[in-house]
Amino acid sequence: MVDAADRYDRRAFLARGASAAAAVGLAGVGVPALLSGCGSSPSATVSSTPGVGTGKPRYGGTVSIGLNSEIDGFLPAASHFDNSGLSYANTIFDTLTVIGADGAAHPYLAQSVTPNSDKTVWTITLRPGVTFHDGSPLDADVLVANIEALRSSVLTGQALKPVTGTSKVSDMAVAVTCSEPLVPFPHYLATQIGYVIGMAQLESQSSTKPVGTGPFSLVSWEPNDHLTVTRNKHYWRKGLPYLDGVTYHPIAQDQSRYSSLLSGTIDMMVTRDPHAVKDLRSNPAYQQVADLNPTVGQPDMDFIILNTTADPTNDPLVRQALACATNAPELVRLFGAGITQENLSLFPPHSPYRPADNGYPAYNLAKAKQLVAQAAPNHGGSIEIALNTVTDPRLLEQIQAVANMWEQAGIQTTVGQVEQVTFIDNLVTGKFQAYTDEMFGASDPDLNYVWLSSTTASGPIALNFARYKDDQLEAALQQGRTSSDHATRVAAYQEVDKRLGAIVPYVWVNRAAWSLSASDSVLNFDNLTLPDGTKAVSFRDGIVNPTPIWRRA
Amino acid sequence: MPDPAHDLPVLAPNIGYPGSAADLAEATAGITAAGPTRARRPLGPVFWVSAGWVLFMILLAVLAPVLPLTNPSTQNYSAVNAGPSIHHLMGTDDLGRDLLSRVIFGSRPSLVIGFFPVVIGLLLGGFAGLLAGYRGGVADGVLNAVSFVILAFPALLAIMVVEQFWQPVALSKLTIMFAVVATPLLFRIIRATTLSFANREFVVAARALGARTNRILLRELLPNVVPAAMAFALIAVATAIVTEGALAFLGLSIRLPNPSLGNIINEGVNNNLLQSNPYIAVWPSLYIFVILTALNLMADRLRSAFEIRDVKL
Amino acid sequence: MARYIGIRLGQLVFISFLISLTAFLLVHLLPGDPTTTILGPYDTPSARAELLKQLGLNKPLYHQYWTWIVNVLHGQLGEAFTTKQTVSNILAVALPIDIELMIVSSIIALVVAIPLALVSALRPNRLFDRSSTTSTLGMLALPPFVAGPLLVLIFAVSLHWVPATGFDRLSAGIGPNLKSVILPSIVLSFGSIAVYFRLLRADLISTLQEDFVTMARSKGLSTPYILFRHVLRPSSFSLLAAAGLSIGSLFSGAFVVEVLFQMPGVGYQLVNHIYARDYLVVQGLALVAAVAFVVINFVADFLLTVLDPRVRRA
Repeated sequence: MVDAADRYDRRAFLARGASAAAAVGLAGVGVPALLSGCGSSPSATVSSTPGVGTGKPRYGGTVSIGLNSEIDGFLPAASHFDNSGLSYANTIFDTLTVIGADGAAHPYLAQSVTPNSDKTVWTITLRPGVTFHDGSPLDADVLVANIEALRSSVLTGQALKPVTGTSKVSDMAVAVTCSEPLVPFPHYLATQIGYVIGMAQLESQSSTKPVGTGPFSLVSWEPNDHLTVTRNKHYWRKGLPYLDGVTYHPIAQDQSRYSSLLSGTIDMMVTRDPHAVKDLRSNPAYQQVADLNPTVGQPDMDFIILNTTADPTNDPLVRQALACATNAPELVRLFGAGITQENLSLFPPHSPYRPADNGYPAYNLAKAKQLVAQAAPNHGGSIEIALNTVTDPRLLEQIQAVANMWEQAGIQTTVGQVEQVTFIDNLVTGKFQAYTDEMFGASDPDLNYVWLSSTTASGPIALNFARYKDDQLEAALQQGRTSSDHATRVAAYQEVDKRLGAIVPYVWVNRAAWSLSASDSVLNFDNLTLPDGTKAVSFRDGIVNPTPIWRRA
Repeated sequence: MPDPAHDLPVLAPNIGYPGSAADLAEATAGITAAGPTRARRPLGPVFWVSAGWVLFMILLAVLAPVLPLTNPSTQNYSAVNAGPSIHHLMGTDDLGRDLLSRVIFGSRPSLVIGFFPVVIGLLLGGFAGLLAGYRGGVADGVLNAVSFVILAFPALLAIMVVEQFWQPVALSKLTIMFAVVATPLLFRIIRATTLSFANREFVVAARALGARTNRILLRELLPNVVPAAMAFALIAVATAIVTEGALAFLGLSIRLPNPSLGNIINEGVNNNLLQSNPYIAVWPSLYIFVILTALNLMADRLRSAFEIRDVKL
Repeated sequence: MARYIGIRLGQLVFISFLISLTAFLLVHLLPGDPTTTILGPYDTPSARAELLKQLGLNKPLYHQYWTWIVNVLHGQLGEAFTTKQTVSNILAVALPIDIELMIVSSIIALVVAIPLALVSALRPNRLFDRSSTTSTLGMLALPPFVAGPLLVLIFAVSLHWVPATGFDRLSAGIGPNLKSVILPSIVLSFGSIAVYFRLLRADLISTLQEDFVTMARSKGLSTPYILFRHVLRPSSFSLLAAAGLSIGSLFSGAFVVEVLFQMPGVGYQLVNHIYARDYLVVQGLALVAAVAFVVINFVADFLLTVLDPRVRRA
């Protein structure tokens, strides 16, 4: 599905209390992008590199940023970090690694992350001399405590399942042992589980008083109103940040946020509303960065998820018919404002993991009708599907179009809206037929393991919502996870994409299109650098990093 | 047969009150044993035109399925967001559906939600308010308390719960829910108006003369309460129609793709459509506005026609 | 008088009790529970059970209700399961927003509606009356989610006179505060203007037909004097009742406006926390909003007796 201010996505699981309004279509649905280390390069469509400042950086000033959702707290082990949560986290905390423009995970807060020969033990060495906002030092004890908290948390424990233990190697180094080779581990450390919080916060388990090492420290947080932070004078990256302070404003409604930017109420805005993106592109008073053609990692995908264990979507013929009946280019034309693009694969076009032909059934109405005719007798003579989404008006429009397309093929479709909490419940417990969804943004394909694996596909609660079990797919995922050889990984993930094209648990539609816009007095907002000066992935999947921003004089 | 109420011309407003001899003659001219006169002044063309228009809109809604209208759910991707034209008199929406038929089909649930709950509210709540305002006492206290509980309670929570358990969302259920809220609302307004008249001299006098409660309610109080009640009822109709839109905002109203005026306006406001295709929001809003105006003109004419006296300033 | 207040207080307690019970039951009736919000898909049945126990939600309903009520009476409304904000804190943030919206929108509505009604009632069905009626009906037919964006487009985006979203607290200065409140208040006042105008006009027309008006005129009193001194008071009954209803319901009913303008008032918080199944917050907010509604309407009722001494203090 094309953009959606709040769409249910993997992150969206955890309907955040405060941002549950997103479910109302009014709040941005932010969902904890638990493992989203998605990378993408800035759009090449606008001239003179927007977001990259030229000239001498200027110190001072503050910036107000409008986000699409609110978070429910600052504890990486307990709170849901959707794109807004990750933006907040980037402000107050640091991750151990950061994805560089080359797509690899480079050490950031960590000085190095080195594996042993078979990649089962990863040693994280921290930078010396880093202190938290409360003055306490960053050392191995804190890191061990952090990782243990993440492992024992219900929320983040799944992602760290392969980890069997952590041990302090020296004052500044920690060894993380895994039960099997975990090749993409550094990428994990660039996501929600890579944030390191201070001992004081770990002990108090406070989700409202964060203690981090990040470029800014908390001044005040009023949920659904604002988050204000001030410059960390002792930041370990010398000379950064440039701003004196930042204020974030979660503004749920896309239209209200856009109006706020245009009226000057806020200086910068995150959005995925294609109409706003399109308008701002041609507005000279604003600069915009939009990750429309990612070349690093994979972006969030908008798609329809089908329950492979419920009738009639448990029938592969039916699923193929649904895919054949969905005219993704038309949907993109109707709702994408010329901004989003269809994407009939788990991976974007230039990704090495995308095979030349992944076998996914493209739009073919005649074939769809034929498949329906073939399958109908096994389902009582007619195929009836309920297609539901969260209470987002944009998504609602889109599923009406999809339902119309499916009806053309002879599938009787009803559309409806389900409230966020019920939506998540149903998704997780397998009580649905067809739901809209948005997820899969990642800097490394293995970050999506839990959502695609056969090991998480059954039981009362399944993270593989579509609940498909496929030995070939699982084997390919395992290979991608444990193999260090690039060619093997490429082949493995191409196999994953092909299996998805054969099973069709997901009806692909388009890539999500996030953008970050700023008034022209705000500079360098998409130019995060690594400590060694090379370029990092800055804005991606709606996640902001305020470190490099400065204001015009 | 002596009619106590009318034997006291000096103290009974609005019912054959003679301000002068000529007025008296005019007023008493039509009084028969059965009761006071009907319309003293002709209703006028404004009334008939408005009434005709309202009737027309109601007929359109009722007859919608048999009228030669495009199917309101048919999507046509080659004619998306088209302006008014010969093929689509009101244009199309962002899925290529014909707006004229959507508005007419959408008026069906909206008119039902607009009128039925208010009618029910007037009948139930209105009479209860009349009685409670006049009699007072324990009954008034209890009714008042109950109406408070219903009105003070955050409606959204109640609607969400009710809709969860009373699936699927249907017009009849929405109507009942609105009626449940309309009744205490009208109860309170009419109770307040009744209170203002309940201890006036003419009522006291009527009671002193031995008139029974029924008579007092019907003859003395009701005619005085009707103008305010009608004014509020009209507002209640408008509010109901608009509130249905607010529910659509939250996805709690008539399920798409079935149209209602509220969910069409809602669609028209979202997705940047106010700027790309304002017609979607404009036509249904205009429809609501026109029917409200027509009803209002009718109500005003009726009141003028039944009034004997002029404003005295 | 004491008796009157006593009876009213008694009613307030009774109504509050009923509302607390209803709010509690209704929110617990909603399917799902806070564990979905807090744990999402990552929970296991055992984790869920553990969390429910931690939150005190595994006890029988009557027990939970009783615990809650007792806490409320001690002034402890509880806290959100998700953000850990206390309900009192949420109220401290939300109430000033709603109170200010209420005051400003009522002032706007009354300042517009009363003069319009007065002039219209003097010459009913003439041009001024017709145009006032038409324009107020127009305001009524315009839903807030249409009026809001339109006003923002004009006054915030094009003219840059006021901010498009957000509530600036009074502590930040009266200027920014009023600027942030004026657009949402105008949107809120639209519905009220129509109501007040029509009710007042209807009652004024009735009152103006009374004899005492001729009497006043024959005494040589001027029209404005008669209007304000003699006519307005007895005609304000339905206006007062309606005002009580619409002001009172603002606390939970301004949701649409609050969302459009991103002002976390009571309505906004209520809906968000309903969606998150944050029981304590919902119960606390519902109770407060309801009590506010009842108190405001009791005040309206009392004012009725002040306006017209003939109205019994029932």
